[in-house]
Amino acid sequence: MTMNRWTPGLPSPETLKRYRIWDSYFTPAHGHPGADGTKSLFADIVRSLPAIQTGHFERACYFPHVGTGTTSDHNLEALLQTQPDIVLSPMRRWSGLLLGMIQVNSNDVQASLQAIDQWIADGPMVGVYLPGGGPGARRCDDPALGPMIDRVAQLGGVLMVHTWFKTGGKRNPSESTPSELAVLASRYPEQKMVCAHAGGEWQQGVRAIRQHTNVLIETSGFDATAGFIEMAVREITAKRIIFGSHLPSRSLGTELAKVLGADILEEEKRLILGQNFRDLLQLGSE
Amino acid sequence: MLNRRQVIQLGFSSASVAATKRDAIGATVSGEQIIDTNAHLSQWPFRRLPLDQVEKLVNKYRSLGITQAWVSSFDGLLHRDITSVNERLAAQAKIFDELIPIGVINLRLPDWASDLQRCCKYHQMPGVRLFPSYHNYGLDDPVVLELFRRAADNRCFVQVVVALEDARTQHQRFRAEDVDLNPLPDALSRVEGVAVQLLNARIAADRLSDLKNLDRLYFDTARVDSTDGVPKLVEQVHAERVMLGTHAPFLIPEAALIRTYESDQLDDASLRAVLAGNANQLIAGLA
Repeated sequence: MTMNRWTPGLPSPETLKRYRIWDSYFTPAHGHPGADGTKSLFADIVRSLPAIQTGHFERACYFPHVGTGTTSDHNLEALLQTQPDIVLSPMRRWSGLLLGMIQVNSNDVQASLQAIDQWIADGPMVGVYLPGGGPGARRCDDPALGPMIDRVAQLGGVLMVHTWFKTGGKRNPSESTPSELAVLASRYPEQKMVCAHAGGEWQQGVRAIRQHTNVLIETSGFDATAGFIEMAVREITAKRIIFGSHLPSRSLGTELAKVLGADILEEEKRLILGQNFRDLLQLGSE
Repeated sequence: MLNRRQVIQLGFSSASVAATKRDAIGATVSGEQIIDTNAHLSQWPFRRLPLDQVEKLVNKYRSLGITQAWVSSFDGLLHRDITSVNERLAAQAKIFDELIPIGVINLRLPDWASDLQRCCKYHQMPGVRLFPSYHNYGLDDPVVLELFRRAADNRCFVQVVVALEDARTQHQRFRAEDVDLNPLPDALSRVEGVAVQLLNARIAADRLSDLKNLDRLYFDTARVDSTDGVPKLVEQVHAERVMLGTHAPFLIPEAALIRTYESDQLDDASLRAVLAGNANQLIAGLA
């Protein structure tokens, strides 16, 4: 299409490439990958590719289910446990693009510990994701999660935690708030943790974690509300912010514009859009 | 500043008139026209926004190649002296060629009809904007029908703001539910000739079936999310009914712009219609 070469709101392709964008929060088929373990997942990845290409992303980190009970589909859970190739298939097909953090079941710590050993100790996953809903969700400051956090810390993995502050209170008691993540962060000051969605209502979210320097915020999952990145840079510095796209259920426009449209320095944009996530993964030299 | 008649003439999209307007505001990014049908001046009541000064907002529009913006005032949410709110809005819009003022009407205030008259006739505004959730009425209220009738008589379109902020992030003591659109089909069926645009609506696909065939009902794109949300909306309600809306300065205006093309699904004609053509047609239809 002729007009598709015209991209109002985006910088030039050369500028986008210079940012070296690494997406820390890619959510294809986030709740369920399809009965065969891949169909919906593959479809959503393909659905996202035009935006990924438009944004010139280098890498995108998604959150595979690995059979720890993070869905209520028992057939799928059994399939993923017994056929790890199914879990690996997207990373093979899009090997240059995808990174993975496994979804763990905080209500089955033993199964999750085994998965952490299987997928992080032995690779190729780079961390764990604590979901905000579904059968695997549990408040992140629950002491029962301790063995999982310890193991992730031993392995040098990243801990990504879905967080929201919702007006009127939690819709689901298992969902975590940034304040609860701050409690967890104070127990593990050496472990890097990511406050996904910055709590949604980011004015409170940023405040909740700002004293905990081991916590970074992730930028996706809410409308492109103006002023978010400016406040976050002011309060916790650009070094503690990582970009996420939430594609395809959110959009390149909503998520990338939060950073591109912010009144911050170009160097700060570069940190947020990729360098900080590479540093977090200890892949800073890549 | 163009008067309303000139704005309406511009809506006919004669190339020469459109070119004259673009020339007046400086070169655009590509020579394409882009119209933001959903923006506000003044201050959001709950925090300062980076672009809540009109000069900054207009400079942002210029940097993005947005050639026209239909603006109301955030003051209209809570102020009761709406007449002066709209006076200030009209005065600010006169300073910048890009800004088309859209007056706020609060149907819970006495003598709102005079505000409508002033907006449409004295200020020559092409449309007015309603905030039902903030002004505490539903679309089933008979006063809405009365407003629709008077707006049609005055050849003004009506913008209904379905939401301004995600319900999950609103201030605890100032919560505003999304406007219930269920009464809208009945209301529109009772008033001939009124054009209505829904702003910031995020409507489930099954609900769109009740709305997509309503004559002269339009949608904006400000909170239509997912990577292919805009093309899906266009497919469901037809390209003629969808117009770019950014909800600036509350939302970052780049967001809505990028969403129109990021999935590479809209053809050129549909993209041009969403970015400007439909807005021009709506205004042309008022003449």
